[in-house]
Amino acid sequence: MKLRKAASFAIALTVVTGLLAGCSKGNSTNSAVKEDKGNGGTQTEQASKDVKLTFFNTSAEVNTVFEELFKKYHEQNPQVTIELIPTPIGGAQLEKFQSLLASGNPATIVNLDAGTILQYKDDFLDLEPEKAKYEELTNPGAIDGALLDGQFLGIPWTAQGYGLLYNKRAVEEGIGGAFDPASVKTRDDLEAVFKKIEASGKAPVMLHGADWSLGAHYLGLTYSLQSQKVEDNRKFVEELKNGQVKLTENPQFTGLMDTFDLLKKYNARKSDPLVADYNRDSADFAKGAAAFYFMGDWSWAVIGTLEGRDADFGILPLPISNNPEDFGNAQVAYSEPKLFAIDDSKSTPEQQEAAKAFIEWMVSSEDGQKAIITDMGLSMPYKDLKAQSTNIMSNAVSEYVKQGNIINIGVINYLPQDYWAKTGAAMQKYLVGNIDRQGLAQEVQDYWKSYAGK
Amino acid sequence: MNKKLSLKNAGTFLVFGGPSIFAFAAVVIIPFIVGLYLTFTNWDVRTGDSSLIGFTNYLEVFRDKVFLQQLWFTLKYVFFTVVIANVFAFFIALALTRGGRGEQWLRTGFFTPNLVGGIVLGYLWQTLFSQVLPYLGAKYGWELFQTSWLTNTGTAFWALIIATAWQLVGYLMIIYIAGFTGVPNDVLEAASIDGAGRTSVIRRIILPLTVPAIVICIFISLSRSFLTYDINLALTKGGPFNSTELATYHIVQKAFLSNQYGVGQAEAVVLFAVVAIIALTQSYLLKKLEVES
Repeated sequence: MKLRKAASFAIALTVVTGLLAGCSKGNSTNSAVKEDKGNGGTQTEQASKDVKLTFFNTSAEVNTVFEELFKKYHEQNPQVTIELIPTPIGGAQLEKFQSLLASGNPATIVNLDAGTILQYKDDFLDLEPEKAKYEELTNPGAIDGALLDGQFLGIPWTAQGYGLLYNKRAVEEGIGGAFDPASVKTRDDLEAVFKKIEASGKAPVMLHGADWSLGAHYLGLTYSLQSQKVEDNRKFVEELKNGQVKLTENPQFTGLMDTFDLLKKYNARKSDPLVADYNRDSADFAKGAAAFYFMGDWSWAVIGTLEGRDADFGILPLPISNNPEDFGNAQVAYSEPKLFAIDDSKSTPEQQEAAKAFIEWMVSSEDGQKAIITDMGLSMPYKDLKAQSTNIMSNAVSEYVKQGNIINIGVINYLPQDYWAKTGAAMQKYLVGNIDRQGLAQEVQDYWKSYAGK
Repeated sequence: MNKKLSLKNAGTFLVFGGPSIFAFAAVVIIPFIVGLYLTFTNWDVRTGDSSLIGFTNYLEVFRDKVFLQQLWFTLKYVFFTVVIANVFAFFIALALTRGGRGEQWLRTGFFTPNLVGGIVLGYLWQTLFSQVLPYLGAKYGWELFQTSWLTNTGTAFWALIIATAWQLVGYLMIIYIAGFTGVPNDVLEAASIDGAGRTSVIRRIILPLTVPAIVICIFISLSRSFLTYDINLALTKGGPFNSTELATYHIVQKAFLSNQYGVGQAEAVVLFAVVAIIALTQSYLLKKLEVES
């Protein structure tokens, strides 16, 4: 009995001291931050001081690679400690970012979608002084593509492209001969290939039925295809909001949807198009169960390590008309989706300096580039890379980038955050025949009208 | 003297009740009040400013047709979940209080889903509905399972109910078992001497005497199914095309995806009112059915 009493007292004591310790810890870091802000002038003295950075990551699938990088950087620069704030894959990422910000405890460095950075631009550090340096480091146009409303707020570190991926073996078996990607210039060319593949008993194309793929990547092309200039595309979206555009009369929209009908007809998931299991769809394509796949080079994260996959893949632009000259028929969609940005609401000047140095190390050192290119399997829009990519698809995209045959999808950075979910749902309805083209156009237009003047 | 005693009482109360009151205030009462205040402002995390705007957010709620549809959908979902979960829990509990062999194991088995987190559970059922069942359906030619239940508006609704009910049943079963053990043996013996059959024992004796357990179970299942979010997120993500978005899911989307915090919060308050009214009314009405043995 006595023993029990003593034990319960001990437990109670531990809980209470634990609580107190938690509180006091919070206090001490707060006061430390304040102190640091006070004497931010003496730079040299600061350099020897320990700096702690936090890193908010929305590329959740590569959390561990980042952690390895942080460790390596800490070994080389013992005074800098970096802590990862992970987010779940495909889940509550923005919610977490917002709650950190609202509670006055934002991360020093964030890896966020460009559009999100734009929305919170007042909270991020203006990197204008660094711009010239990064223009030197990156491919031509890469920094211009990352500007948000003309401001340099985030440093691009990865590039993605999407279009019609193809599995070389599957296509060649389907058409019974060598496949020349340059032979597909129009929608009719594509249909001819699809017909041959179907006749050989294979599924011609995999159409992933998730709202993000249909809403952001497929329907999203409508906004990017209006013009090669992001500015003009933004104007188009404004006109949509004001109700001045009739989508059914817009050649880009109708062209895209005509091609969509084609994909729908030859879809490997025809019997149940909305299952949208990303891993399974990617694996089936990689093993040749479908010859084409409307997806991007990021799917390499699934395909690259897959056992029993085929070896050769490539990418084709998605043809939207029967005129080979039309914009979009020879170009693949390309963007720098994620940017590194530095907090300017609560971080101290020395934290910001340390963050700048760390980001530069990540994108320019051999360790950093190896981690991003080899371990994460991503492509970087940088010059003189010190690592070789094994991602066949992003290498294929790079060929288009080199020739300048890209669709700049930068307009999506300026769209409201829920556009892909809302218009993606309309696309799903269209995919299963719940609404017709007129109904689809109406739903999409109604969505934009709800943002009139915002 | 008296004052000293009441002071001592207060001290004792604080020692035992203080920590839980503190915790309750910190995670329930204070957030609730702050949340209520937020519904009258146009607070936005991006700009950080907020000014009072009166009832504009609430007006917006009743103009949000999608939310009202979703609320109606949630009511249907709750109704079926509560009925199915309680009926199953009641009969499983009945079957597992007869003293048969392996009863303890079966009870544990039925309770286990309740220990699995909603997200994990959602993914489990997702695999079942969109991979296992279609595979079996194609193999044996079962029309019902040829396509995934999650891609059709009608069947996705039932998939959601099945998964939630499956999780709830074990928990409710435990409460019903506790309720049954409260039924006095002499009453049951008297009934069997009088020649009452199994069905009339259930209908005329067990059912009236377990009304307290039924009230608790319905209350719990009501509030839990009204606030379902995790299963909804993991199982259907509100799809296909937003047709299975429950009210809670819609609220989170509204606040964090569409950045309309005030409206989202106001919708949460409306949902709270709906849940409170329904749950209290049912327990008030059912309490009247309670009898003494």
